[in-house]
Amino acid sequence: MLDERAGDAALEAPNYDNEFDAIVVGAGLAGSAAALTMANRGLEPLLVERGSYPGAKNVFGGVLYTPTIRELVDLDAAPLERYVAEKRFSMLSHDDETAISLKPGEWHREPHNDSYTVYRGEFDEWFADQAVEAGATLVTETTVTGVIREGGDIVGVETDRPDGAIRAPYVVLAEGGNSLVSEGASLKSPESRENIAVAAKEVLEFPERSGVIEDRFRLVGDAGVSYQYFGEGAVGEAYGGGFIYTNGDTVSVGVAYSLEDAATKRQSPEETLNLFKSHPAVAPLLRGARTVEYGAKTIPEGGAESMPSLVHNGAVIVGDAAGLVLNNGVHLEGTNMAVESGYYAGTAIVEAAERGRTEASALESYSERLEDSFVVQNLERYAWLQDRVEEDRELLFEQLPRAIADASSEYFTMDRRPKEMHAKAAKQRVFDTLGGWKGATKLALRYRKLVK
Amino acid sequence: MSVSPQAPEIENDSMEDRLYTVKYEDPGDSHLDVKVASICADSCETADCVSICPADVWRREDGEGVPTIAYENCLECSSCRFACPYDNVSWEYPKTGAGVTYKRG
Ligand SMILES: Cc1cc2nc3c(=O)[nH]c(=O)nc-3n(C[C@H](O)[C@H](O)[C@H](O)COP(=O)(O)OP(=O)(O)OC[C@H]3O[C@@H](n4cnc5c(N)ncnc54)[C@H](O)[C@@H]3O)c2cc1C
Ligand code: SF4
Ligand code: SF4
Repeated sequence: MLDERAGDAALEAPNYDNEFDAIVVGAGLAGSAAALTMANRGLEPLLVERGSYPGAKNVFGGVLYTPTIRELVDLDAAPLERYVAEKRFSMLSHDDETAISLKPGEWHREPHNDSYTVYRGEFDEWFADQAVEAGATLVTETTVTGVIREGGDIVGVETDRPDGAIRAPYVVLAEGGNSLVSEGASLKSPESRENIAVAAKEVLEFPERSGVIEDRFRLVGDAGVSYQYFGEGAVGEAYGGGFIYTNGDTVSVGVAYSLEDAATKRQSPEETLNLFKSHPAVAPLLRGARTVEYGAKTIPEGGAESMPSLVHNGAVIVGDAAGLVLNNGVHLEGTNMAVESGYYAGTAIVEAAERGRTEASALESYSERLEDSFVVQNLERYAWLQDRVEEDRELLFEQLPRAIADASSEYFTMDRRPKEMHAKAAKQRVFDTLGGWKGATKLALRYRKLVK
Repeated sequence: MSVSPQAPEIENDSMEDRLYTVKYEDPGDSHLDVKVASICADSCETADCVSICPADVWRREDGEGVPTIAYENCLECSSCRFACPYDNVSWEYPKTGAGVTYKRG
């Protein structure tokens, strides 16, 4: 680490002009993946993190997706909490729940569908350490305040340290969704609030006795769950949902929903979270738990349409800073995209450095590889979804959850009428809500791309 | 249709209790401010900064005027920055690692 190598003087005045091959802004998943990739291939990157350690400032829901990370590091040594053995999707009306649960046996076997709950405070620090062990230099408690330009080229960064300018041939902007540096350098415009979700999250502990999590969530060993909740009972009439993830001996509970809705509903994210936790389907899972951490963050969810240009003369943008998050209600993935983009960005810089080039065209292979990867392909696949859901919001979040809950209880009603009558009435209940065959067909057509 | 009237009571901590669970070290100068006070006072009716903030940092007496900002409690979530319809929130990161620290995140 820088501090050990250069002593306290380094903290006062880093002054590492051109000592490093690249500067990575932010030691989150994207930044550390980029630094690790470069260090593995012989470059000396500097990783600059504003928190007192990597991960100290980071909040996410709970599941780290590891298909690429697993190739970069030895995950057996990583601080993982549980693997995800069950995915459950619940539709909540005001006081009903209709759920489907998926528990493929395969998920119990390595690599566990590449889905693990983690604490970012622990995982990000460990992951950044892997980059340091490979040869990267990490400096913490240092905020990058802007880029240094010469002509049209980015040639370094300004930091909040005294005399804190640092120059290097390449800058990787891995600063997350609140990307003040990229915006300040006019590499992207601030997201409009329609393209941002706000999230509030708690980590809860069960002080009463051990084994509560295993009992409540029906878990054995390291298995864990990912529960997602939609509909009126989760986050009111807003676009978004609630979630519960199990860690080793805590659970993470949160809500994430459109910032536009949150602002206009005049119900704070904290209140929305409280209501979600008190829903009759959710409260029994959390009974007796104590909050040990409360956090909040925004999520960029503009998708493919709001991705900025990823490559510039001397700089690339990766991870959340580039808007690489898939958040469509069914999937909430950003960790895999952050690592994938960091990996491709790092690779592109290594190749450009071998040819002694820094201009955008020499770094273009980063955005080309990303375009061909699941990252951009998945974002494009769902580009249409958000607008459509927005148009159908009342139907999808309010009317349908209620209709389906009513229909299920009708279908299983215990009385002396024949089953056929109940089945008919149940079907009718859903059909009325959808506007009959015509409405149902129309809706199916509108969303057919989801299963294509 | 009502199914479960007896959901167990969930104790939701007050905001004051919640903020004990995060740590704010030596904040120095506020990293939050309004850019033009008169916009808040004269033009802004809804004060979305107040309703969006998950940590009660922004408050507006009697629903009008320029909000007060209890910046020490800020979770650095950036919501207020994106929410203000007048782009009137001046937002930067707290200096040299100060601010909220999460253990778990
Ligand atoms: C509530 C919530 C739930 C989520 N749930 C999931 C989930 O379950 N699964 C999933 O895959 N994804 C989830 N995501 C998305 C995921 O967290 C992000 O996509 C991912 O963390 C992006 O990684 P990143 O490295 O790009 O950015 P970040 O993780 O945000 O890292 C950015 C880093 O840069 C540092 N930094 C910022 N600015 C500066 C600066 N100027 N100078 C120095 N350092 C700076 C920050 O301190 C931070 O360490 C969730 C997000 C949220 C908010
Ligand atoms: S929303 Fe913007 S303009 Fe309105 S009170 Fe808040 S900071 Fe001022
Ligand atoms: S950044 Fe988040 S916690 Fe801080 S004042 Fe703004 S809305 Fe509130």
